[in-house]
This record gives sequence, structure tokens and C-alpha cells, in this order.
Amino acid sequence: MSNYRYWLGGAFVLAVLAFIPSTGSAYTTTLLFTMLISYALAQSWDWVGGEAGYINLAHFAFYGIGAYGFCLSLLAGVPIILCFVIAVVATSIIAFIVSFPLFRLRGDYFAFATLALLPLTELLAFNFHFTGGADGVVLPPKYVLFEAYYIAIGLVGLTAITTVWLIRTRFGYALKALRNDEEAAEICGIRIFPAKSKVLILSAAFASIAGALQGWQLSYIDPTTVFGLDVALIPIAMALLGGSGLLWGAVVGVIILSLFNQLLIVSLPILQTAIFGLLLLLIGRYMPGGLLRSAVVRNNKWIGFLGREHDQFVRATVSAPTTDNLPLPKQPVATGEPVLECRNVTMAFGGNVAVDDISLTINAGEIVGLVGTNGSGKTTLFNCISKVFEQKSGEIIFVGQDLAGARRDDASKLGIGRTYQIPRPFSDLTVVENIAMPLMNRGDESASLADSLGLATQFAAYVGLTEHLAARADSLNLQQKKALELARALACRPKLLLVDEVASGLTPMEVRTFVNHIRELRDEYGITIIWVEHIFSALAQVVDRVIVLEQGSIIADGPLADVVKDERVLSTYLGSAATEDA
Amino acid sequence: MLTIENLAVDHGKLRAIWDLSLNVDKGARVGLLGANGAGKSTTLGAILGIYPPAEGNINYDGKSITGVAPSQNVEAGIALVPEGRRLFGEMTVRENLEMGAYTKSARAGVDDNIDRAFAIFPILNEKSGDMAGTLSGGQQQMLAICRALMSSPDLLLLDEPFLGVAPILVDEVMEALRRISDEGVTMLLVEQNIHRALNFVEHAYVIENGRTVLDGAKETLLNDPGFSNKFLGLE
Amino acid sequence: MDASIIIQIALGGILIGGLYALVAFGLSLIYGVARILNFAHGTLLAVGGVAASGIFAATAWNPLFIMLLLIPVLGIFGYLFYDHLLQPLTKRNHFEYTVGSVLVTVGALLILSDVAAWIAGPAPRNIPLRFEAIEFGDVIVSTTQAWILGGIIVFTVALHLYIKKSWFGRAMRAVTQDHTGATICGVKADKVHALTFAFGSGIVAIAAVLYAMLFPVDPYIGFALTVKAFTIIILGGIGNLVGALIAGIFLGLAEGFTSFFWATQWAPAISIVLLLVILVIFPQGFGRRKST
Repeated sequence: MSNYRYWLGGAFVLAVLAFIPSTGSAYTTTLLFTMLISYALAQSWDWVGGEAGYINLAHFAFYGIGAYGFCLSLLAGVPIILCFVIAVVATSIIAFIVSFPLFRLRGDYFAFATLALLPLTELLAFNFHFTGGADGVVLPPKYVLFEAYYIAIGLVGLTAITTVWLIRTRFGYALKALRNDEEAAEICGIRIFPAKSKVLILSAAFASIAGALQGWQLSYIDPTTVFGLDVALIPIAMALLGGSGLLWGAVVGVIILSLFNQLLIVSLPILQTAIFGLLLLLIGRYMPGGLLRSAVVRNNKWIGFLGREHDQFVRATVSAPTTDNLPLPKQPVATGEPVLECRNVTMAFGGNVAVDDISLTINAGEIVGLVGTNGSGKTTLFNCISKVFEQKSGEIIFVGQDLAGARRDDASKLGIGRTYQIPRPFSDLTVVENIAMPLMNRGDESASLADSLGLATQFAAYVGLTEHLAARADSLNLQQKKALELARALACRPKLLLVDEVASGLTPMEVRTFVNHIRELRDEYGITIIWVEHIFSALAQVVDRVIVLEQGSIIADGPLADVVKDERVLSTYLGSAATEDA
Repeated sequence: MLTIENLAVDHGKLRAIWDLSLNVDKGARVGLLGANGAGKSTTLGAILGIYPPAEGNINYDGKSITGVAPSQNVEAGIALVPEGRRLFGEMTVRENLEMGAYTKSARAGVDDNIDRAFAIFPILNEKSGDMAGTLSGGQQQMLAICRALMSSPDLLLLDEPFLGVAPILVDEVMEALRRISDEGVTMLLVEQNIHRALNFVEHAYVIENGRTVLDGAKETLLNDPGFSNKFLGLE
Repeated sequence: MDASIIIQIALGGILIGGLYALVAFGLSLIYGVARILNFAHGTLLAVGGVAASGIFAATAWNPLFIMLLLIPVLGIFGYLFYDHLLQPLTKRNHFEYTVGSVLVTVGALLILSDVAAWIAGPAPRNIPLRFEAIEFGDVIVSTTQAWILGGIIVFTVALHLYIKKSWFGRAMRAVTQDHTGATICGVKADKVHALTFAFGSGIVAIAAVLYAMLFPVDPYIGFALTVKAFTIIILGGIGNLVGALIAGIFLGLAEGFTSFFWATQWAPAISIVLLLVILVIFPQGFGRRKST
């Protein structure tokens, strides 16, 4: 799909739209005007809903605030351009403020809180004096349909461009990452709260312009028309009907629902809300993924392209890497100071002490095995080191720097990379996009999107995923997901690599390859490695020493050969009969 | 008593078990060993009916239970002590035990079975009014085992029952399981600690990547050089 | 400030708060077990109350009898609603499940209120029972109010006991706390979900009739009630009945006193503001959520 065909198509559509008013039909113009506004609303909602994964039921409130802001300013005699500006600025500030409490909530609580905001804004509009109460705001009557219409076309163009821009920028990718897995996004260096807040403000700003335009065109607004529940859900239903997260979802949804609405108004004098409710119910029950995701659409060769998920767009742009080397600086092991020091680290969850007063030192260039039964505290220790949790007491010093108070998203930038025991890739993103994530989120050292994707292919090649660059992460098998985890961790350009159970399930040959990688990472790239593993044969090939955890404490710490003869280790982990084989 | 033939189980789009076959005789103690992620827990879940098999058969007591719902299997005499215990943290110890007897056929024997449970692990009697969430790891494991026994099962599936249990208590739990086995309950035990497992079971299967790769009586396995290598890593 | 006025307002607040709590009980059970936010929950009360008022106007039957008729009707509705419209969504991925359940329940909300308004008219109505006043000094209480308050308390105790002691009650609590654990015990989780929906909806029927005896109902009060019910659940803890009762009464008192000391029109905002403030301070609510 070449880009210029899209541009041409888009320009054509806009030209057609611009032509409509000259036909003189006020009815058609008004209908189209409503559809344009609806598109701006539906699509801006989907930035938060489809891209970031948060269902914001209060989106329409921003529309209403924009409308009020505009109309009140106009009534006060402010020049018109400034009225739009005021509408946008006021709404954006409010969006910024509410993003703080709202984004502390997850999933259904978020949806409910936003839904509760709607009647609140309606109440505020009703009861505040300056908003005119139930009477609303009446503007001096002026026929502005055509002006409003043309501005609406501009708004729609801007919305479409923003949507495409979002998909192709690092910001958009950050949203996609946090939609899939917020914690994994953070360990890739993404600051999730600012990202969520920004997209909310962006969507609110566009909604406010839509509201301002509508208020201007109607010359009248009141609380019910801008904040009523049934009206408020229409744009959301439109986005969902077409398909949330799809490029064409909002367009299709707007067209279908607007025409349906018109049909209702014209042919059914009663029960319009009930029929609309029925439509919502049917969409929810049978097509929550949207019309464009249904088999009927996707399998059709003419309109199938409308239902493409973004990963099918990426396929075209990724090619195999040209070199075999890792894009990491080759350097010898740094001598001298320890890379990691844990001093009396304790971590507890409620009454359950997972890590109990642990002290250890890892020197630069060591490859250390971390061993212990399930529940011994290994993963919790990793979580503390990589700042997923803040330990309850004790210090963790990384390359001379105390990590106290560091955020989760700092870990990657500081040089700590980790894999998860059960892989946590960004499921609906491709392999290359997954790996690129840490590369494009390194603060000042971030690579551009194109560069990140390019570099990512090299990391992918290193772990043997060249054949799967454009495959979605959730289509990989377990071994491939573990390889992906490793590549993504390496993309954090780590000085310290925390590897969590990568070898289980691999054939001896694959284990050997992996072990060679580990050795090479230390020898050629100077990376220090802590490796949680319980397959001793894997560890034996490469580790310098082994630390054994049991019930949150270290019970052994030394060369492998000594550790396996240690009595405490034998009895708790290997079982006493192992002495026969030692 | 239990026969599995060429089982395949999917977790969403991913195949977790490819080709698993095993056999457990009535009254036997059989182990299911293997690395993390190999498919052991999935196997137990499939037997109980939590995960419907994509392919293959599971036969219990001569009848096919492939794809049968968990509630039916519990009625028929299968019980599971799951990984992570899955207790009801805000219900008392007694209430947790009562829930184990939820199925219609088990309700009549509730009180008797609770008494039996207290006889096996007296500490549960002491704590019978306490919330399950306040118990220690070992006590919770005891409670999970007893909850499974409340339905008077003929086949007991245990998924890592010694996980998180302090070493001192492990022997007590192991002893209790031996006594339960002696009363005629068939057991299938998933365990990470190889020697602890072989201490308890007579026969074991080894799973790797969702496939059975090795099986045999205890002695055979211990003497198999490949087995030691794989799990003990001492070459 | 006359103490009797304060007491009068407090009594009113406790009464309406108790009714809110009844609505919240159903929603709390449903949410705890099925993890679905039923946006249409309050609308069941609105529609049930309108229906009850209509029946009373036509037949003058004892409201208790009307209640006994309404309970199974709403119960069966709840069961079928979950079984046919919501349960199939559990097989989908998380986003579609959330979106789907929001759309289905909001759609139901709109359908129910609009159809009720079409059949019975949008005007508020109630079950007008003559009240005999009992006087405690300057405080006036009607026998209706007294009976209802007593009824709410008795019902809450009975419900609490039922959930604590009965097999179904235990099943509900078990599924709420650990879904897989319950399945292992032989609980048919899907069936429990549907039955809990039925159970919760049946409780709403009781609240509907009592509400209509005290206050006017119209088809559109549903959503505001749902918001209040949700506030109460968050405050009281999911699955915690006594907590919900206390939270409900607290909310009722807050509304009553806001109305009196500040202005009536701000009273409905109280619940929403409270909800938002609580969610900010305690993003998980007060109840501990068990992950499934």
C-alpha cells in the first residue's frame, strides 16, 4: 500500500466534502456536518480507547466543556478564533487535572469512574450560575453553517492526520506497549503516566473543538444536549462498531451509525433511545471487536484491507539485518568496583517475607547462577533489583549508585535489563517492534523509530528470530517468546542482565547455543549476568559462581562445585539422595 | 484407574501439551516430573477438566472423561490439590474444608470428613476458626490437601504439594500423604524435587516440552544415566 | 439549631441510605462473583418501582404481595440476561470482554428505561400508602418508614446469614475469592455467575417496592442509583454486606445533610464526588480484590 494513494484518496474525499455546501441543500450539509463532528469525536476517543486501551466513557464531557467554553467566550465578546483557543485550553487543563486521579485506576474501575464523571459535569452545568443553569447558553442567532462546515472539514483532516501520525511515532508505540502490558512497558523505559496523560489531553483537545463547532453552529447549548448519557455514548459506539484500534474503524462506524440514526429519526417517532440501546447491546454481544474485524469483512477481497491490524502494515517495512553483530559496544569487562551490591535487602508482601535480609556482591563481568526452589525469593529479588518493587529495607547499589527511589522506567536507562520467567511480550506487536521498544525509550539517547526497528532486527538475528521478524508476539511458541524476552532485554543495552529461567524446555543443543551467547555477552560486550536457572547442567557450563536461595535467605554462595556438595543445599533443593551422584 | 492416551492441550493459541500418555493403576503412587513449563500442571488440569483436551483421551475407572466438566469429575471421585493452593483467604479453615465437600454426594459426609482432616493435621483443628489467609505456607498446604480429601476422592492429584512448606513440616506432610495412600487413595504427584518425589512414588513419568520422554519404576529411573544428567546436572 | 430537625434529617438519611444499600448488595454480589459492572442494575429498580406502582394503582394489593411477585420476575430476568448476553463474552479476550459488557449493560439500561417510559409514561409515580405518624417529641416518623427501616435491617441480617451459612452463599463467596479454587471444589462457576445475577436482581425487586413506598420513581432514576450503589461497594468492600449497609447509611446521611445545609440540587453530586475522591485515595477500593 503506497502512501501517496492514501493521500490522493484522502484529498479526493475532502474535495467532495467541500463541494457539498454548494449544492445548496442545508439538510445534506447539516447531516454531513454532524458526521464530520462525530468522526472527530469517535476517532479521538479511540486514541485513548484503541491505542492505549483505556475505555474513557467521559470523552463526551470534554466535548461539552469545549462547547461551553466556546459559547461563553463568544457571548462575552471575545473574537472568534480566541474562543476556539479558550475552548481547547480550558478543556486540556481539565483533562490534565483529571488524568492524575483517573489513571491510578485500572480496567473496569476506570470505566466506571469516567462514566460517573458524565452526570457530574451535567450537574455542574445545571447548577453553576455562570453556565446559565438549565437554560444553557444562547448565542445571538447567526447562520454559520457553512463556516462551521468548512472548519469541520479541516478538523476531520487534522484528526485523520493525527491518527496516522500516532500509529507511526514512538509515542504511539509507547501507547501500544502500555496497552499490552504496563509493567513490561516500564521496564523498557516507557514512562507510562505521562504517556497516558498526554493522549488523554490530546483526545480531549480534539473533542473540545468538535464541541465548540457544534455549539457555534447550533447557537445554543444546554446541559442535557451536551452531557446526556445517551448522546454521550454515540461517538463511542461509533468507534466500537467499526472496530477499536483499527485505522478505518471510526470512519466506518460513523457512516453506518449516522445513517442509522437518521433513519430512526425519520421513521420512528418513539422508542428511538430503546432502538439505539438495542444496537449497542447487539454490538456488545456479537461484535465487540467491531464490524471490520468480523470474518465477513476480513475475508472479502475488496474491503478486507479495512480490517487490517497495524502489524500487517509493518510487514512491508522490515527487512532482514545485514550484519551478525549485536549493535552493542564491544568492550572488555570493566575491572574494579562491583556492579551490584545488595545490603540487607528485605522485601515483604503483607505478612509474607519473600526476601529476608539478603546481602550479596556481584563483580563486573561475573556470570552468577541464582538457584532455589519456587517461592525461594529469586523472582522477588530480581523485581527489587530491576525496580519493579521498592524493597522494604536495605540498599541496592548499582555501579556505585544507590537505586533507592528509582522508578521502574529508570532501570532500562541505567543499564539493567531483565527477562521474565513467564515471558511478557507485547502480544499484539510484532517481534521487531517488541525489541525496538527499549531502543526508542532511552530518554536523550533514544533512537528514532526507523533506526530502532532496524537495530531491532540485529538483536532478533542474534537470538535466532530472523524468520519471525514480522510475526505477532502472541503467535510465537514458548521458546521463541523466551528468545524474544532475551533480545528485548539486550536492547536495554544492559550493564547487568537478569535472566530468568530461559533454558527449561530447550534441547541440549539449544542450551549449548544459549550458554555460548551468555559467555559471549560477557567476554565481548562486558555484560555482567545473573541467571536464575534450575537446570544445573546448563549453569555448570558457564557460571563463575552460584548463589542458592531458600525461603528468602542465601544458604550458599560460591563456585558451583562447592555448592552442590553443600549439605544445606542438598537437603532442601536437590534432596538427600543426590549425595550418591556427587 | 487412570489412563491418558496421546493427550494434546492448548492454552489459547499455544499448544502446551503435544503428546502425553500415562497410566496410573488403582492404589498406586505415580510421579509426574519435569522442568518448569513442561506441562505438568496443565496435565493435572486437563484430567480434572479445567482444560479441555484438543486431542487424545482421558479414561478414568474405565469411562472416558475427556472434556468432562470439573464438577462432574469431582463427583466421580477425582480431586486436585492445585499449584498455589487456591484457598479462600477470607473464609475460615472450617469453611474452606466445607467447600471441599460442595458436590451433592459429598455433603452428607461433611462433618465426618472434617474430623478426619483434623485427625491428619491437628493444627487445622486449632485454627479452625481462623481465616485461611492468616495461615503459614505449610499450614495452607495442609489445608489445601484436606480440602481435596473432603470429597472422599479415589484419585488425588497433587501439584507441587511441598512448595513453600518449611523443611520441618515437609516430613509431616509426606507422612500424612503416605497414610492417605495406604487407605487406598490413588495418587498422581507433580514434583520439582526429584529425590523427594522418588522417595514417595513407585513409578514416574518425565515430561519435557509437553511430551512424555521417560517413564519407569523408581529404580529404573535412578539407574538411568540420562535421567540423572538431565535433572541433577552433575556430569 | 433544633436537635429534632437534625434527628429528622438523620432518620431520612438513614432510610434512603438503607435503600441504597439494598441496591448495592445485589451489585456487590454480582460484581464480586462475575466481575462485571452491571450498568443497568439501578435501572432494574427504576423499572421495578414503576411496575410496582402501576400494579398498586390498578389493584391496590398489599405491597408485600407485589414484592413477592416482582422478585422472581426480576430474578429470572437477571438469570437470562447473564446467561444469554454476558456469559458468551467471557470467552473473548479481555478488551472485547470489557467493551462488550459495557455496551451490553448500557444498551440494556437505555432499552429498559425507554420502554418503561413508553409503556408507563415518564412521570414519577409511587405507592402512596397512608401513613400514621408516630411522634417522638418534635420528631415525626411514619409507620411506613418505621416498618421499612425495620425491614431493611431484618433483611440485611437474613441475607448475611444466608450468604454465610447456605451452600449457595458459600459458593458465591468462594467464586469471588478464588475462581479456580471454587472450580476445583466442584462448583459450576458459570452457573453460579448466572444465579448470582438472578439473586442480585431479585434483591433489587425488594428495594424497588420499598423505594416506591417512600419516594417517587420514574424510569430515569436508574443510572444515578447505579453510581450510588457502586460508591457504596467501593466504600464498604466488595462482598461485604455489613460494610455496604454502613456505607449506604453514610451516603444517605451525607446527601440529607448536604441538601439541608447547602442546597438540594447538589445532593446528587455528593455520591459522585465521594466516589471519585475515594477512588483517588484508594485505587483498589477498600475491599481486597482477589485475582482469579
